[in-house]
Amino acid sequence: MAGAGGAALWLGGCGSSNSAKPVAGDEWKQFGGTTLNFISENTAPTSAIAANLKPFTELTGIEIKIVQLELAALVQKVALDFASGVGSYQIVYADPYQVLAPYHEALVDLNEMMQDPELPKLDDVGDFIPTQLDAAGRFVDKDKLYALPYDAPTMIWQYRKDLFEKHGDRIKQDLGFDPTPSDSSTWEQFYKTSKWFKDNAKDDVSYGHGHQAKQHDSLMNDFSNVLWAYGGDYFEDGDTVGRLGSSDPGEPILDSDEAIEAADFYRRLVSIAHPGSLGWDWDGLGAAFSAGQMAMAVNWHEFAAGNEESKVKGKVGYARLPRGPKRSANMYGGTGLGINATASERDQKAAYLFLNWATSKKTQLANLESDVGGGTPTRDSVYKLPEVEKAKEPPSKMPNILTADAVFEAWKPENIGLRPKIAAWNECDTAIFTQLSKMLAGQQGAEQCMSNTKDGFMQAIDNAAALRSA
Amino acid sequence: MATAVERGSTAGTEQRAPARKENRFTFAGRMMAPALIVLALLSIFPFIYIVLMSLSRVGLIGGIDLHWAGLDNWSRLFSDESVGAAWVRSIVYFVLTVGLEMVLGIGIALLVHSLVWGKNLVLSLVLMPMFMAPAIVGLLGRFLTDSTYGLYAWVLRETGLYTGDILGSTTSAFIAVTLMDVWEWTPLIALIVLAGLSSLPKPVIEASRVDGATYWQRLRHIVLPMIAGVVIVALLVRSMDAIRYFDIIYNTTNGGPADATKIVPIRLYETAFRFFDLGYAAAIGLSMLAVSILLANLFMRTLRKRGLAK
Repeated sequence: MAGAGGAALWLGGCGSSNSAKPVAGDEWKQFGGTTLNFISENTAPTSAIAANLKPFTELTGIEIKIVQLELAALVQKVALDFASGVGSYQIVYADPYQVLAPYHEALVDLNEMMQDPELPKLDDVGDFIPTQLDAAGRFVDKDKLYALPYDAPTMIWQYRKDLFEKHGDRIKQDLGFDPTPSDSSTWEQFYKTSKWFKDNAKDDVSYGHGHQAKQHDSLMNDFSNVLWAYGGDYFEDGDTVGRLGSSDPGEPILDSDEAIEAADFYRRLVSIAHPGSLGWDWDGLGAAFSAGQMAMAVNWHEFAAGNEESKVKGKVGYARLPRGPKRSANMYGGTGLGINATASERDQKAAYLFLNWATSKKTQLANLESDVGGGTPTRDSVYKLPEVEKAKEPPSKMPNILTADAVFEAWKPENIGLRPKIAAWNECDTAIFTQLSKMLAGQQGAEQCMSNTKDGFMQAIDNAAALRSA
Repeated sequence: MATAVERGSTAGTEQRAPARKENRFTFAGRMMAPALIVLALLSIFPFIYIVLMSLSRVGLIGGIDLHWAGLDNWSRLFSDESVGAAWVRSIVYFVLTVGLEMVLGIGIALLVHSLVWGKNLVLSLVLMPMFMAPAIVGLLGRFLTDSTYGLYAWVLRETGLYTGDILGSTTSAFIAVTLMDVWEWTPLIALIVLAGLSSLPKPVIEASRVDGATYWQRLRHIVLPMIAGVVIVALLVRSMDAIRYFDIIYNTTNGGPADATKIVPIRLYETAFRFFDLGYAAAIGLSMLAVSILLANLFMRTLRKRGLAK
């Protein structure tokens, strides 16, 4: 009874219309004694949950063992677990591009769980930010939901407010525009501002900006913002292929004039950036920015937590990314939690309780307040809580919320950047970041780069099709 | 003792029961059976399975599923330019690392051998790198060369020797990962060569001294020829290891920038565990095995020629 009471109390705190009623019986306790394995990328929300699993264990009696890995290692382990058919990891951090798209058949359709009267009702599904529910949770079929949005890292413009305040007037005088990030800021202005800092503010900062341009997934993310801003895309129907995914995306359009122009601009942009850019992924860039080595960076918004613990604490501003000739595009890198369909039925249902709890409003708020986590909530209502609204201004106990206005702008359908959700993505990703790396190393021009990338995509799609027919 | 029992047993069987001569599962066979079974489980069965995989497309969901693909993976292997380029880089990398390690290892061994006192202390210090896991060496190398907080990057920048990002440009990244491997494995060569030097007959060296041979003459005409066998063994050991070099590159550049450090093992890993194209990965892996066997045979033939191996 105490357990049921506890469950009712927990969900009561969530406050959504669907969960306002107290939970009857002991539906949260029915799988007590079960032990589940949760495999996750080493991200902020999982660190926060790992540090405070007690509420879930008290609520359900289920023990959760968490394995946190780098994304590449996670994908490898999950794929091999699916192949074994054993279901060792019942709860899966289902990266939409590297896990969900190629292995959606090995994930449970959560609609079945959500309609099961014996399982506790999920907090309002409509509360999840709609683009994220589709991007992180679905693959092609809108009627199936494979994952619940769990985190929502998004690439935004991070800049040194103190330096922009100090030099803003001079930059305006020299360059003829206000460098402070705004809705009308363009990539060309970003380039000029960066060059100005590099040439004129050596005493304050060594470089204008940096990139995550290592031959790595990070390079694809970094470039895609520019690609979309300049009107380029991966496939003709890029919006759908990005948001819902596709099993037949058609021919890549990476050799379009817009894509080539974007690649050429990106090459120019990197050429004036911090020289470390070519060896950094997002972690390297985040460390350099928080060490005060540059005035601006384009990085995942969850790096705000690191900024607020470094020498640039309180000095960083956040904004949506600049516009190109077509739009502003902000790469979304969120992921959902899914359930391994090769696990036993009992484990699947027990795992559903964890998904329900981990993506609830109250847990997302707790993650935000965690000392070890930071969290990037995926529920709209979390951002509207008074304590979260208050945390938008520094000094903030929830540093990631300092970016809230920027990410909400970035998540608007017209601004969000969604890479293709296709089964061949891992190989396509490798093709584009390898060719871009060759372009940045001076081995090929923009046109050759994009042409080779297109060929690589076509080869990858053919290879994936052959494998899937096996 | 075991051999005596075995012989006696076999002989007795032949004398008493010639009709059972064809039974080959003898006492020796029974004794060797557990080891053979373990060997089959660990080596032979996986080898056969990998050969089968290389002739198949491998499905993963819900259990590994082999679909016959004939020689598709093999024909792709011989027409894949990226794999060809990876082999070229592997050869350059192999020659550089093993060559530098041999030269430095022999040099260090000669220096340590010539020490009169403190030899054990110096040897302990020299050997330290090879006791580190290669993955740790990679992480350490990445840390030391990081342009934000890396010590080596800072020293090079402050002295004006190199201002770029060490792991960010093609040449410096290749040199960096090569030197990391040399740093870790030169001590192994030094150790093996030092063992050879310790076993040199002192009277021969003394006699050459008495005959007025200089240090370089002794080295060229007496020491090096006498330790040649040991040097070839060291070369064999390092070569077999260098051809599957993976950890340091994986933890530093992961094959970049611009594929400059993408050698065959990295390409193999990428194919197997990033693209999950296990059939093609099996073909690449078997080609690496073939090259390893060829190299080993080459060295063994050299050893045989010198009468150092049977």
